[in-house]
Amino acid sequence: MTHDEVLAKLQEVFRKVLNDKTIVLTPATTAKDVAGWDSLSHVMLVVEIEGAFKKRFKAREIQNWQCVGDMITSLLNA
Amino acid sequence: MVFTSFIFYLFFPTVFVLYWFVFQRHLKAQNVLLLVASYFFYGWWDWRFLSLVAFSTVLDYTMGRLIGAQEDDRKRQWLLWVSLGLNLSLLGFFKYYNFFVTSWVDAWASVGVHMPDATLHIILPLGISFYTFQSMSYSLDVYKGRLEPIKDFLSFATFVSFFPQLVAGPIERAVHFLPQVTKPRTFDYQRGVDGIRLMLWGMFKKVVIADNLAVFVEQIFRGYEHMSSITLVLGAVYFTVQVYCDFSGYSDIAIGTAKLLGFELMSNFRFPLLARSIPEFWSRWHISLTTWLNDYLFTPVSLSLRNLRKNGIALAILITFLVSGIWHGARWTFVIWGLVNGLLFIPYVIKGRLMQRAEVVAKGKWFPTLTEALQILMVFGLWTLTLVFFRAESLPIATGYFKAMATHFSGPILFKTGIVYVVVLFILDWINREDERNPKVLRIGPRGFRMAVELGMTIVVFFNMLSGYKEFVYFDF
Repeated sequence: MTHDEVLAKLQEVFRKVLNDKTIVLTPATTAKDVAGWDSLSHVMLVVEIEGAFKKRFKAREIQNWQCVGDMITSLLNA
Repeated sequence: MVFTSFIFYLFFPTVFVLYWFVFQRHLKAQNVLLLVASYFFYGWWDWRFLSLVAFSTVLDYTMGRLIGAQEDDRKRQWLLWVSLGLNLSLLGFFKYYNFFVTSWVDAWASVGVHMPDATLHIILPLGISFYTFQSMSYSLDVYKGRLEPIKDFLSFATFVSFFPQLVAGPIERAVHFLPQVTKPRTFDYQRGVDGIRLMLWGMFKKVVIADNLAVFVEQIFRGYEHMSSITLVLGAVYFTVQVYCDFSGYSDIAIGTAKLLGFELMSNFRFPLLARSIPEFWSRWHISLTTWLNDYLFTPVSLSLRNLRKNGIALAILITFLVSGIWHGARWTFVIWGLVNGLLFIPYVIKGRLMQRAEVVAKGKWFPTLTEALQILMVFGLWTLTLVFFRAESLPIATGYFKAMATHFSGPILFKTGIVYVVVLFILDWINREDERNPKVLRIGPRGFRMAVELGMTIVVFFNMLSGYKEFVYFDF
């Protein structure tokens, strides 16, 4: 998958989990930029992302994510 | 030494003058002064326990350096466990040893086996839960790569022992606080004025509201068996307002004091009694502890349980609240208090209505809508009920209190005058609700009016201080 394809798929997952069709992600997007993206919903996001991309991340890797760009890097490197 | 004692108002101006007028050009000298002042502040209570603060400081400074220098992941993890193990052992011994021994003996006694009582006479060191958690967060952040280990021991020691927040928080994070210690500070007049106002507001909440309600609460909880239901409801409500004013008052004074020294501490309370849901409440109450538990406990536990999806989140929440309960004290009542609060959170997880951005309630309006008012009332009522466990000295007292509340319908309504303090607090909190760091009640109207309000509040605080010092509730933790 290309960088843009991963970003588009991530956006779909975010919209589904946070129940907000208006969410637009960029690599620089952080939790502060998205209403409802907090520590609780983050876990559900991780579950859905792992399911959608059929990948399994290490807990430490997840905790190091600071923005959507870090997620994309992990997904492209996995 | 405590903020509400007269000695503090000799101590702090002395530190302030030395800090800004003698050592203002020398960062290192300012930090030495802060360190000495902090140890003096703590030692005023009991100098023997300064060794524990020093131990935590040396331990986490050393472990931070070792973790930072180590590249092998396993060795880094091992070093972190040493740091956490030693910190928690210290906390465990001083705070929980007798609790575990008593619980162990009682458990065996319940099946007819009598074990020897091995409890010890241990004094709980003031603020041990606060500075241990603060110090541990440094090692954790270095391990997680969020922070470079600091070389300057003086700055690190100042971070761990900074007297405004040493004994009752806010529990600062190294990533937020250390850069402030290592950079030169300049005196900012407006920041100083804001600091004094925040101190005054905190003193008012503590000395006027919390300490006066504490008198009623003490009598109602001591004689609950003979009180009517309505008096007991009042007792629970008074305690809710007391503990909030006591603890948030302390935090405001700490933040205000730090501002006068050129530091910004994190907010610890954001009008939790105006929250409209349980998750919102926990984003507003004791923020420095809830975010600490969120980052270092809830997040790793929930991620490791994520295969269980919502059940995993619910379980992680229960574990986090259980630890929060135990953090507060070595009593079964705190364990139950933590669990009940965890259970109250679960419906929001199941419904998928997790933590929402906590917007200011009725922003720009005079009054809340009926729905908002009912939501606030519901959260306040549930929180008040859980606090009966928090205040009761044992489980039989807590259950007895609830039983009496549900059955003692006749009898006089006592201590009604306490309602005045509750109403005053709610009105002032409502006015202030848009900014917890800048009380609006002290900024309304023309200059003359503001000065009159400030002077009036200072006089009320002063005369209430004359009636004697009452310890902060959270000093027991």
